[in-house]
Amino acid sequence: MKSILIFMMLFSLIWGSPGYTGEKLVVVVNAASGVEQLTREQVINIFLGRYRQLPSGVMAQPIDQPYNQHNKALFYKLLVGKELSEINSYWARLVFSGKTKPPQQVTDVSELHELLKNVPGAITYLDIEQVDPQVKVVLNLH
Amino acid sequence: MNIPRSITPLQYGMIFILFTYSAPQLAEDRFVLRGFGTLGIARSTTKDAEFVRDLSQPGGIHDQWSHKIDSLLGLQANWQITPELESVAQIVSRYHSDASFQPELMWGFLKFDPDAATRFRLGRLGSEFYMLADSRLVGYSYSTVRPSNDFFGGLPFSYVDGADALLTLPTSDGVLRTKVMAGWARENIPSGDLQFKLNHSLLSGGYFDYQTTLWQWRLSYFQLRLHDESPALPLLNALESTPFPQAHSVATDLSTIDKTVKYFSLGLVYDDGPLQSQLLLSKTCFDTSFFENNRAGSFLVSYQLGAFRPFFGFSWIKSTPKYIDTGLPPMPPLSDLDNAIHMVMRDSHADQHTFTLGGRWDFLDNMALKFQWDGIRGKPNSIWPYRWEIPSWSGHTNIFSLALDFVF
Repeated sequence: MKSILIFMMLFSLIWGSPGYTGEKLVVVVNAASGVEQLTREQVINIFLGRYRQLPSGVMAQPIDQPYNQHNKALFYKLLVGKELSEINSYWARLVFSGKTKPPQQVTDVSELHELLKNVPGAITYLDIEQVDPQVKVVLNLH
Repeated sequence: MNIPRSITPLQYGMIFILFTYSAPQLAEDRFVLRGFGTLGIARSTTKDAEFVRDLSQPGGIHDQWSHKIDSLLGLQANWQITPELESVAQIVSRYHSDASFQPELMWGFLKFDPDAATRFRLGRLGSEFYMLADSRLVGYSYSTVRPSNDFFGGLPFSYVDGADALLTLPTSDGVLRTKVMAGWARENIPSGDLQFKLNHSLLSGGYFDYQTTLWQWRLSYFQLRLHDESPALPLLNALESTPFPQAHSVATDLSTIDKTVKYFSLGLVYDDGPLQSQLLLSKTCFDTSFFENNRAGSFLVSYQLGAFRPFFGFSWIKSTPKYIDTGLPPMPPLSDLDNAIHMVMRDSHADQHTFTLGGRWDFLDNMALKFQWDGIRGKPNSIWPYRWEIPSWSGHTNIFSLALDFVF
């Protein structure tokens, strides 16, 4: 029995992938960014460092939430269908060739809201119930 | 040969631990210190030729496990001077042309991003032959243990001293990039006990790259204007010293001074969630008869299953022999000189293909364990991708590799 449990733990560690069936996130920007909506391709370009300018001309500043691993993993799964390990690998590729920087990693929710409030190009992802008047929803991900 | 001054596994461990725990303290808003590395072991099933990661390595592996070809350690410092200006320096210790692990400056440049669409860099830059990154040394950033030897093994340039400019234009469904670069190569290519110095050879070129959500294609052209003579200079001098005009003409053909190497490549990547596949094709043409022209290709497909990514690849390289007639009479010592000239020319012959099978396991956020089998099937005269081959070399071997890749 013990060996079966160990096998199952190892199996889930190697193959396991959290299920996100039915879960949703919204992509939000600073309400003063001048942006009404973004396409999935534009959000991909911003978060994967391909082209970081909002349609309004403001430089985009993407923000990741490592303190909320569930939402971070869900966001990249919904956006590009990738695991966080693949995203880490992707950023290693760009960071160690001096090309561009990964999204800013904030340490807690208060820092996130501070940036969303004060940085015109700030862009991140939230649960729909976390949306407040200081931000504008520009894309639904599901 | 020089005795390799290798870094021992214990030293690797100490350096790794030191930087894992010190990096967060050193990291500030505008100054960030990061690192990457590979602890890798590999072995071949033959001792008739030494398999190398690329031709910058003077020796490789044979039928004993060795950490030599894949193990490396890199440190990178980024300093954001202003929002538009950043400096980057990267030092890497790896087994390279002088048969040592002596650290070398891989990057050292100033980057200026005046807006989202343009980027300029000046200093020591990566030679961006690898479609998916400037650097082929960051194992953590790709699936396999090493980039395909058939495709990349003959490109021993890691960096140049120069400048590049990148223009990025958003389109309705992706981004279009154009890059131009020029710079002087600084590295050497080992050739037996000698070194082919690329110092002062001018590398220039660029690419067009179009990337959508699922697809990326790239068309590249680079050329290298060789500055120095190859290590075969004594043979060329011997040809010049004969009284035969045809031999003088052959010496001119074989010379590498001011000759150009032209490199064309086409890359296609399909990246759809867990599925990633890439096809790379290249053609390399040498103005000098010293090297054979070659065509190479690489196909790799991988699929993410949770933390595990199995992959399968197929690659190939085939060169076209160049025929010369020295016009030397068939009598010693002139016939010996003729044989030596033809032997040197055959050194760049390649005719082989490789099957690759393996897996990558991301068991931690910043570490991946990889295993890989490469089945190399080639002709006995396919010796360009190897070192220290002997006449009994069959052209066939199997390479088994294990690697731990990490970033910190």
